Amino acid sequence: MGVCKISDPGAVEAFDPARFTEEKVAEIRRFVGDGKAAIATSGGVDSTVCAALAHRALGERLVCFFLDTGFMREGEVEEVKGILTSLGLPLRILAVSDRFMAALKGKSDAEAKRIAFRETFYTVLGEAAKAEGCDVLIQGTIAPDWIETAGGIKTQHNVLEQLGVDTKTSFGFRLLEPLLELYKDQVRRLAVHLGVRLDASQRQPFPGPGLMVRCIGEVTEEKMEVLRKATAVVEGELSRLDPPPKQYFAAVTEDDRREADSRMARSAVGPNGRAWYLGARVTGVKGDERAYGRMVVVEPGDQADPADLLGIVERVIHEDWGVVRVLLAVEGRGGEKGGYAVIVRAVETRDFMTVKPTPVPRAALKRIASRVMEDPRVGLVCYDITSKPPATVEFE
Amino acid sequence: MEIPVIFLGGQYNHLIVRALKEIGVSSRLVLPQAAMDAVKGANGLIMGGGPYSVNDGLARFGALPEIVESAGFPILGICLSHQLIGKILGGEVVKGRRPEYGRTVIRVIDEDDILAGVGSEFVAWASHNDEVVRTGRERFTVLAESEFCGVEALRAEGREVYGVQFHPEVAETPVGKQILKNFAGICKS
Repeated sequence: MGVCKISDPGAVEAFDPARFTEEKVAEIRRFVGDGKAAIATSGGVDSTVCAALAHRALGERLVCFFLDTGFMREGEVEEVKGILTSLGLPLRILAVSDRFMAALKGKSDAEAKRIAFRETFYTVLGEAAKAEGCDVLIQGTIAPDWIETAGGIKTQHNVLEQLGVDTKTSFGFRLLEPLLELYKDQVRRLAVHLGVRLDASQRQPFPGPGLMVRCIGEVTEEKMEVLRKATAVVEGELSRLDPPPKQYFAAVTEDDRREADSRMARSAVGPNGRAWYLGARVTGVKGDERAYGRMVVVEPGDQADPADLLGIVERVIHEDWGVVRVLLAVEGRGGEKGGYAVIVRAVETRDFMTVKPTPVPRAALKRIASRVMEDPRVGLVCYDITSKPPATVEFE
Repeated sequence: MEIPVIFLGGQYNHLIVRALKEIGVSSRLVLPQAAMDAVKGANGLIMGGGPYSVNDGLARFGALPEIVESAGFPILGICLSHQLIGKILGGEVVKGRRPEYGRTVIRVIDEDDILAGVGSEFVAWASHNDEVVRTGRERFTVLAESEFCGVEALRAEGREVYGVQFHPEVAETPVGKQILKNFAGICKS
């Protein structure tokens, strides 16, 4: 098999951040030798913690890169800059959104998009690292990343060696992944130990390819603009829940809904309920296998139990095995199909290996919908009620 | 106390190792080809889930079928490995008519040692396309079922070989730790 590098599963044993740090600092020094290392950080928890750890090991011999891919959220570039400079990390910002847009043009398949993103990411990074004299790349890959990639669920942008990619010949650097054995909750404890500022360590996960995986199907400038605005609204509203969900965000797709047959609606959401299919395909995981299937939007009838969200999902999937996500209609422009559908996602979880949808109060969803629909290009706002499995947290 | 975990490519295989360590049992992931070596000196064996069907051939399972058939130590098979045990012990593995992904309510028929203390009904998370069905010739006892799946947990007749279709190792199965503790207890005794 050989796809997984499980050098030291002991790292999860009664996780001790101090001991872990000590061991990894020594390992990083050994691996890098007298040379220089590069790290690409997104400002997210994993890569920021990994940068702080590598900085402790290497000091000035670590160069920190931030790739502005064009898939960042409103104000994010500035925010990340603040987080990283507060840790005293030497930071280089690479403005390379044009190269990503060019690589993604005409691609609507989720895997094709992820692969194009990965190739562009490492090509750009390899060039920049070489220019700085670095021959080692350190990155903050954690356990769920390689587990998903090795299982063929999604191509995580930061998983290379486990897939048999020789980074030295392909991209010109040696790769080191000190956090490979850890889960998110353990990374957060490591963050506290390393003094990574709490707002950074508590930040919800943000995928490496950023908003690309939430811009379902082909990426266009207009769709990205709708998504960026919706993301700001959803993050603003849901961060005010007490406690806030473990992860919450918006996604966008075309509002091309077509009515499902009445049997689907009746069995899923009761006699007065309605159900529609959306055209886009999204990623899921069923029985440990990757699934790539449709989304169904439901509007429960008055006899449906609104608290029984997972029951609705179960019944929809029993009607049609090709469905991987079920969405609750929050607001739609009556009858007419508008340009885009915005999907709100919020989940509860310990380790992101399994998740359940957050029971977001109806009033909060209504408030989000009315603000998002101020943009006339949005015709439908839905709430994703699917657990993982059968959906994944992200859409692509 | 050591219980190795066979890695069959499933998403949660590494979580089994994590859960065992959290209850004070030492563990590591082992590829199926290395199973024979790994069980030497171990107290028991857990086999994880994976993205295959046992109906597509048993080559990738290495020596596991032989181990399941004749081992003298306790074994727990989860998801795909539960199906492997079911098939080897005379059951049949078929595509589920109502596959379960996510929350599943498990009803206990016979708690045996493995399901001791988990109550008569509990919530577990499952993720499977295939399932074990009885043939009348099976050499196992059914310990639990759900609305859509008739064999959620089983035990080999006269041996400490168990299978569970759901995932005790994920955070969303609240009694999962208890089940793994029960298994560790069986391994110790």
